[in-house]
Amino acid sequence: MTIAPPLGDAVVTELAQAIGADHVHTSKTARMNRARVPAPFPVHRWADHVPDVVVMPGSTEDVAAVVRIANAHRIPIVPRDGGTGLTDGARPERRGIVVDVKRMNQIEEIDPVNRTCTVGVGINMLKLNEVLATHGLIYPDDPASYPCSLVGGRIGTSGWSLIGARYGHSRDLVLSFDFVLPTGEVITVGDGGGRKLTKSSSGYQLKHLFMGHQGTLGIATRATLKLYPKPEAEFSPFFAFSDFDDAYAALGALSKAGVATFAGAVLFDEWKVRYLRRDDEAYIPQPGDVRSLVCAVAYGNEDEVRAGGRRLMRIARDHNARYLGDEISEGDWAARHDRYATPLHGRTRSGQVVPMSWHCEDAAIRYDKLPQVKAAWHATVADLRERFDAFDDWGMFFYTSSNQGTDFLTEIDVGIWEQQLDDEMWTAWVQAKREIAAAALDAEGSISACHGSCREGEVDLVPTELGGGYDVMLRVKRALDPNNIMNPGKYGLDRAYTDGTTLSDGTAGPDGEGG
Amino acid sequence: MTDQDTTTGAAADGAPAAGAGNGARRPGNELEFAEQWRNEAYNCFSSGHKFCREVCPVTQVTRDERFTPTAFHANVVAMEQGELTIEDVAADYVNCTQCGACELRCPNTLFTGDFYRFRTRTVDVVKAVRALAVDSGVHQPAWQRWNLLTDERTHEPVLGEVPVSQEHVRDWADGLDIPIGGESILFVDCEAAFYRTSVPRAVAQILQQAGYEFGLMQEQWCCGGPAAEMGYVDQARRFAEHNLANWRAVGAKRVLVLDPHDYISFTEDYPKYFGDDFDIEIVLVVELFAELIREGRLTPSVPVERSVTYHDPCRLNKRKGVWAEPREILRAIPGLDFTDVDRVTQWSYCSGGGGGLPIERPDLTAAISASRIEKAKALDVDTLVSACPWSERPLAEAGAAQQVDVVDLHELLAESLGIEVGGRRGA
Repeated sequence: MTIAPPLGDAVVTELAQAIGADHVHTSKTARMNRARVPAPFPVHRWADHVPDVVVMPGSTEDVAAVVRIANAHRIPIVPRDGGTGLTDGARPERRGIVVDVKRMNQIEEIDPVNRTCTVGVGINMLKLNEVLATHGLIYPDDPASYPCSLVGGRIGTSGWSLIGARYGHSRDLVLSFDFVLPTGEVITVGDGGGRKLTKSSSGYQLKHLFMGHQGTLGIATRATLKLYPKPEAEFSPFFAFSDFDDAYAALGALSKAGVATFAGAVLFDEWKVRYLRRDDEAYIPQPGDVRSLVCAVAYGNEDEVRAGGRRLMRIARDHNARYLGDEISEGDWAARHDRYATPLHGRTRSGQVVPMSWHCEDAAIRYDKLPQVKAAWHATVADLRERFDAFDDWGMFFYTSSNQGTDFLTEIDVGIWEQQLDDEMWTAWVQAKREIAAAALDAEGSISACHGSCREGEVDLVPTELGGGYDVMLRVKRALDPNNIMNPGKYGLDRAYTDGTTLSDGTAGPDGEGG
Repeated sequence: MTDQDTTTGAAADGAPAAGAGNGARRPGNELEFAEQWRNEAYNCFSSGHKFCREVCPVTQVTRDERFTPTAFHANVVAMEQGELTIEDVAADYVNCTQCGACELRCPNTLFTGDFYRFRTRTVDVVKAVRALAVDSGVHQPAWQRWNLLTDERTHEPVLGEVPVSQEHVRDWADGLDIPIGGESILFVDCEAAFYRTSVPRAVAQILQQAGYEFGLMQEQWCCGGPAAEMGYVDQARRFAEHNLANWRAVGAKRVLVLDPHDYISFTEDYPKYFGDDFDIEIVLVVELFAELIREGRLTPSVPVERSVTYHDPCRLNKRKGVWAEPREILRAIPGLDFTDVDRVTQWSYCSGGGGGLPIERPDLTAAISASRIEKAKALDVDTLVSACPWSERPLAEAGAAQQVDVVDLHELLAESLGIEVGGRRGA
């Protein structure tokens, strides 16, 4: 295991010589403000996650220079872009150097002929789309964090998009990118060697390998993105149901209808509706007998959206849906779509309003298993709330992941009163996360569809989920990062460097010294 | 970007300085501050979403997480925990124009605004930290000098080495025959009184054309707002007391304000200082002029052949919700080809001229103004119209490089009313 060696002034000087002293930061505030992300954070252990130094490179060459210095000195590196992730890939575990790439936010090229643009990974999608709109184009990577998350983080987490059923997710929309390996070499990965291709069969398909690694395999610096015509029309009907079962049936029918402009469907369960009604002022009031909601969304050319919309309305009507009207439909979709959907406060068991941070556990779950996972997760959170009056169940959402309509980003929102956290509560929380992940695996799902699965608790189950694939992860990690400098401590990958590691199939792990 | 950090944190033994909790050693004013602001700060910290980041003008040009509204709140949480002291954080809080965009974009404001009457208060947090710094003897050198000179001269040193003084505060009004005193007093901020004198001249002559009676103060001091913004709260209060006493001495019932920064001081700071005793009506000239046009008491009729877009001054649009009247005035001016950018898009626009930023970090102000001018330039206009004298200096400097003229709304209206404005549009 790599333990951070002392990071002295000599290294800081070396970094300053490589990228300029103005871009090397060692003040307490520079470091403390890069110690956390919105994922639940043990505030009482803030100091454990503070890096030694922050660098803000301005180019791929700068990033490569920093990585070479870190590799030579065996200093941990944590890549950081927006720092808006709901898993904690950008949270340092062993101090070291945070490589913050937000300065690299230039639009280098817009190619309307081939419908691509090439950008520095520090750019935000909303900002990019403000510029693309003048060309009639859109980059449709659309997470709930759309106004604040950045392209580099989308690559590092292999992000999920609310309208991915229509346009694909980050892995489909990022065509290629420049990538600095843990040893400082720079490669370009995409489909084959062309930067602007959507499909190649040449060689190993490395693009997916270098997305979603949570900063453990290197740092993306420049990306070429796939663009679409800015949609002429949006249709986002909200439907109300008096019970979950009807809503669940309607969700399946809408999602699997094969409507070409269909961009996604969302189911809100009874807990979610109850919570929104109780505490979310932005939630437009609805009749008291509404217990579950479904929203379907279509984007595209106006004539096609209109035709598809008629079909979606007919399907909903056939499934006992009540259309909630244009105001709620447009307003609430804007709210789901453009903002995180939580009021950021919760209640104790006695009903007292207290400031709570929003935490969202997610999984990828098949349609037929959604009710099973829903029951298991609410039971876990109810148990937690029973024991500690600092947790609140804010309900569940189910979002389509593809236009086939058969698997769903499934999430439960949990309010946590972080100001009350101590070690006992944190331990209980981490155990609850293990149970939540286990329930997803019991349902033949995946621990995460969206955020990543490297946080405390759930990460323990990743080898179980991936089986032999996890062993390959260990081998890849060790081959590419021989000194374990790239975000060490994440995803349990330290075991790649431990002599005599037992892999999931009982065979021996990699040999040799491990940094 | 200047790194003010050097190597304070990365000690040679590798132990980061952060984490060495030192709550026991903290002075009383810091503990009191942490107690007062802890929940406010935690409301942001617990969210951590950073929707504010891309609308923050300073963050847009620095991309540095130290200078984000999120960090400005998180530092307070860390101070409460004893992880940071005022000495650690004070310099970071220079990097804010107090434009208020972050507050509008904050999910906390959006979601609970009506229900709990809650608006995230980043501007107040920044002001409070700056005040704590001054109270703790932690000064930013340029701000300290600026406020010292302001205190000596009763006006901000907006002309640099050229002294400003009480003898010259009414020079802008030469030849306009404006009386002293009366029920309505026109208050002219330091930048307009000494630097861009065309603005108060335009305002005064428009008022005269409309037959609106007004006078000037016997002895006008700076409104005190800039001192309050930079943390020099005692000085700000003294200046406010002087001005209020002077208004009362001349029998003023209302004060006409042409500068959005003054408008904040008089509608937010002064009522806090004086409570129910503050019985002066504050009239924003932009709103008054829109009303006078509506009533037919002003009729712009001289065509102004310019292709313009409008810059929403932050303190009007983001802080006070005043965005309709300036557009109403522009649309009343014949000859203008007006390309509008909506007020919400403009949440992320700023000149960089507020909150004391140009005094400590003129490089950042210049970068923010250059970015604003670029956006205007992309609209193919020849003129950017603002309604805030403090924005017009940095915008005009950036505009000169891009052939975009920067004009004040009041100047433009006066021109359309056939007024020979006079005065200067800069030093």
